[in-house]
Amino acid sequence: MRLLILLLATPLLVIAALTVFDFAFRPTFRRLAVRNVRRRKGEAVLVVLGSLLGTAIITSSFVVGDTLNASIRDEARTRLGPIDETILVAQPDGLPAVLARLTATPIPDIDGLLPALTAPVSAATVDAPGRQRLAEPNAAMSEVDFNAARGFGRDPAATGFAAAGPTPSGTEAVINQDLADDLHLGVGDQVEAYLYGTRVAFSVRGVVPRLGVAGFRTQGDDQHARNLFVAPGTLVRLAAAATAGTARPPSALVFVSNVGGVFDGARATPPVFRELRARTAGLNAELFQSKQDVLDRAKEVGDRFATLFGLVGAFTVIAGVLLLVNIVVMLAEERKAELGMLRALGFKRNHLVRAFGLEGNLYAIVAASLGAVAGVGVGRVVVKATEAIFASGNRDLSLRFAVRPVSLVIGFLIGLAICMLTVWGASVRIGRLNVIRAIRDLPEPESSHRRDRLALGVAGVLLGVVAAVVGIAGRSPIPALIGPPIALWSLVPLVGRLVAHRLAVSVPCLLALTWGVAAFSVLPSVFDGSDVSVFLAQGVVLVFTSVWLVVTNDDGFHLIAERLSASGRGLAARLALANPLAKRFRTALLLGMYSLVVFVLVFLASFADVFQAQAPRVAREASAGYDVVLDVNPSSPLTADDVVHQAGVAAVAPLVQARPQYQLQGSTGLAQQQTLTGFDESLLERGTPVLAHRDRRFASDSDAWRAVLRDPALAIVPGGLLSRGGGPSRTTVAVGALITVIDPASGRRHDVTVVATTDEADYVRSGMFVAATTVPTLISRSAQSRFYIAAAPGTDPTQLARRLQGDLLVNGAKADTFRTLVDQSLSRQNDFLRLLQGYLALGLVIGIAGLGVVMVRAVRERRREIGMLRAIGFSSRVVRTAFLLEAAFIAGQGVAIGMALGLITSFSVISHSSILGGESLPFTVPWTALAALAAASLSASLLAVYAPAAQASRIKPAVALRIAD
Amino acid sequence: MAAYPILSARGVRKIYRTGAQEVEALRGIDLDVDAGELLMVMGPSGNGKTTMLNCLSGLDDIDGGSVLVDGEEIHLMPDARRTEHRARRMGFIFQSFNLIPVFTASENVELPLLVNGVNGREARYRAKAMLRIVGLGDRAGHRPTELSGGEQQRVAIARALVARPALVWADEPTGNLDSQTAEEVFQLLLDVHRSGQTLIIVTHDRTIGARGDRLVQVRDGRITAQGPPAQVLAEHFR
Repeated sequence: MRLLILLLATPLLVIAALTVFDFAFRPTFRRLAVRNVRRRKGEAVLVVLGSLLGTAIITSSFVVGDTLNASIRDEARTRLGPIDETILVAQPDGLPAVLARLTATPIPDIDGLLPALTAPVSAATVDAPGRQRLAEPNAAMSEVDFNAARGFGRDPAATGFAAAGPTPSGTEAVINQDLADDLHLGVGDQVEAYLYGTRVAFSVRGVVPRLGVAGFRTQGDDQHARNLFVAPGTLVRLAAAATAGTARPPSALVFVSNVGGVFDGARATPPVFRELRARTAGLNAELFQSKQDVLDRAKEVGDRFATLFGLVGAFTVIAGVLLLVNIVVMLAEERKAELGMLRALGFKRNHLVRAFGLEGNLYAIVAASLGAVAGVGVGRVVVKATEAIFASGNRDLSLRFAVRPVSLVIGFLIGLAICMLTVWGASVRIGRLNVIRAIRDLPEPESSHRRDRLALGVAGVLLGVVAAVVGIAGRSPIPALIGPPIALWSLVPLVGRLVAHRLAVSVPCLLALTWGVAAFSVLPSVFDGSDVSVFLAQGVVLVFTSVWLVVTNDDGFHLIAERLSASGRGLAARLALANPLAKRFRTALLLGMYSLVVFVLVFLASFADVFQAQAPRVAREASAGYDVVLDVNPSSPLTADDVVHQAGVAAVAPLVQARPQYQLQGSTGLAQQQTLTGFDESLLERGTPVLAHRDRRFASDSDAWRAVLRDPALAIVPGGLLSRGGGPSRTTVAVGALITVIDPASGRRHDVTVVATTDEADYVRSGMFVAATTVPTLISRSAQSRFYIAAAPGTDPTQLARRLQGDLLVNGAKADTFRTLVDQSLSRQNDFLRLLQGYLALGLVIGIAGLGVVMVRAVRERRREIGMLRAIGFSSRVVRTAFLLEAAFIAGQGVAIGMALGLITSFSVISHSSILGGESLPFTVPWTALAALAAASLSASLLAVYAPAAQASRIKPAVALRIAD
Repeated sequence: MAAYPILSARGVRKIYRTGAQEVEALRGIDLDVDAGELLMVMGPSGNGKTTMLNCLSGLDDIDGGSVLVDGEEIHLMPDARRTEHRARRMGFIFQSFNLIPVFTASENVELPLLVNGVNGREARYRAKAMLRIVGLGDRAGHRPTELSGGEQQRVAIARALVARPALVWADEPTGNLDSQTAEEVFQLLLDVHRSGQTLIIVTHDRTIGARGDRLVQVRDGRITAQGPPAQVLAEHFR
């Protein structure tokens, strides 16, 4: 990586140094550059606008990463405050022993210990006339000494209890802001809590912020912490009176605060954690590095989002680079005679490059500066959209918009580097022009650089072959993907000497296209688990190849144009096609801009469509013939009999759940805490959850499930069990993998073998499946807290779920149909895909704006032609229509190429590759998205070009010809 | 052939405005051109020759006066009508050829036919025939950048004549050519004239100016002399 940075940075530094030197000490270069910028201010603005979008996109990806990082880090403040480590004691009566060990001698690097008791409850408002009753099944009832809490960690403001008053007594309760918000409660209101089979009413004495200890979350899987603080002794009293023998007793917690503030304290976690583990050994206590886990996750998620948006944004950046090249090439062609004259006057080639490069760099500096600032705005929009998506699901996260200055600087530098390198690359091409040909505006002969091309061809073939071999042998997807196309492209100048140009280009391009589309199916072992960067490479390969193929073979449009003009009515069309067909390099750049972005948009749209269409199937396959998933509070558990006797229930499969830690053997990743589900024969009575992959020794899915029931060393897991933090899966668990299950309380470890995998996404969050009888051997704390329920004939599952949730409120019931759970999950997934599409659509904006910029320049460039056409009788309407049709031709062709590639590639990936966890999904064409995309991009393109087209039509022939002559 | 004025201009004025500055380029031009006449226009650079051509042909607007072509006041026509009229009745040849660079020679030549509604196949046939007449039958498929200056001007002449316009305007048609090529091109124009088309040529070249039916001198935006070329040249161009 450092070598790559060095390789990129070196030419950039040379260019930057030359720019500064030329600006300071070469007045002629400076004069040429500055005056050319000033000569056409309007166009300078267009060039800068076209160039700044790339920088804006890059910067915005960093801003998104910063915001995610800062938001999750902020959880450390709001959910933990001074808490750095947490010790969970399974039985409250074990707490004194743990505290005795912890306080026996001072522990270095800690400045506080705070014991607490907690139990999950359902909380609800009381019945009152004219007021709707509200309930929250995922709340926690806790006991803590408020004075001790305030003194915990030496910063009362960070604990959330600074203004909480004394510890509650009697039937008083202090609730935190999350619970107050959800139940619309205020001071003086009554709140009811359901736990241990009973209902207890409390009077709200105060509301504390969701901060520090008051914001600590023990219940639910969202970001809310709904806490109800009650008088000491309440929980033990209620637990003692529990009606259900299987009720889980309250948990005892010891919060540990390290020396240092909210964030700095985590630095001491490793030694403190070692010491805590040593002191609690043998006491059945689970230890958590609460603060460090949050900070690690913040960094991981922030980095991953920044990378994801950066990679998706890379398509847009490439579109921006193509626009920049187009603009520079047009600038150069417009000034060809002027540049030739400078050469004639004694400018050396390098002078020409530097003078032109200096002008380009002036644009680049302004564009990169404005782009970095604009990137903050783009990032803000993306963050808003992301927040809306998070808020629509249960895992909502309130995002705190944040921009680190270093992100702005890096965004600026990358944008500047891209602009500078592009400008100088194009300038070098300009510097090679022949003086006479430039002055007389003659085209460069085909053979002028034949030797260079042959050398490049040979080098390219070798490079491509080496990349392909290394990539395939080393299972490295990007070299494997791009190697063969590089070799094939490089063949063009070599075989071009032997066969016709069209054939020399078409055959290698068709082969490269075939490879680009089929590689995922042909070599699944190489491309399994490919990330976004591989698709970026694929998009570039396919688009580059297709555009080359199309511009080489688009002569057919000549015939169409001639047919159109044969009647005399298609003159505008003929004019419209003439320039794109004659100036193929420029056309290719514009087509590339459109195709690349549309390709990815269609690719994402296809996936979104396929995912959404899978909902009924996925729900059916996960349900094993059941309809509803019911989760209950472990402190108010239910038996299968309790549930089956509810109205509308036909059958029940009880499931035991727990939260052990998992570690994949052979993996260097940290152990991750995920759900464990224990099942019995009843789960398999109405069918079986469908498996994605299973060990070959099992003839059917049912055989695999039954084998797990029999053998405690076997397990079935979702493929994405060990992926965390959102975004695409990074670790896929395969059949045959060995997973170590760790009991957090005892540290005991058991290995289980994965004999089958379910859907990677695990829409119903079951985690690892083992036999119910195996669960107690793996983990000490578990509860029968989930039930799969089959609705009785004639009962609507949705109505049943709603009724169960209301009737079993006392048990903290949360009931949803399988379809609802899958829909919710897919909906978030699709919202995220839409967000990426929206982000990517900025690339389309670049393409459309670029087309507008190019057309503005085309009008200027073709002024003389327009004058002549008007002189010989072409009406202004024909001229205007010709420009609009030209834009429509380019945009339409680009959109068509992008759509075709997007559909073919997504079809290939969805239908044939194992990239989606081995599932071969039925492909559907996203017609609505395609129609919307085509209509939006074409109409926006026409709109962008209308002004220059109208300007062209208003050109007075005499004025144009006078200027020309 | 009975001579009648194909073009009749009265009191034509043209003012160029640049910011607050005004330059009166034409100061009341009165001119009649008979059908089939070969009219030469000469005068010093910057004195209004090209402006006169632009204004009398309708390429540019005027600030005063009137211009009748075939008895129709072209400056009272809306732009679309004037453009259509120009397509039917006029052809143009310029010093810098002004060919469309992305079209081949024959595609350039067939443009006036297509704009006049001639069938595409017929237009291509007539364009190639016209190119053969100007001696470029074998260069029909070449683009302008692949042709010499003389060849480009021949293509421009073919384009100007292919629709058989009644009135052909030529602004310095030989200005960019060497003397031998210039003579060849001028002979082509003389052939045009002999076939009955009206030709108005703006030129600097005395030898060309001397070969018209009439010579007009333009100086300071006015017609300062007109008559038989030999006489005007002798009296006003020494």
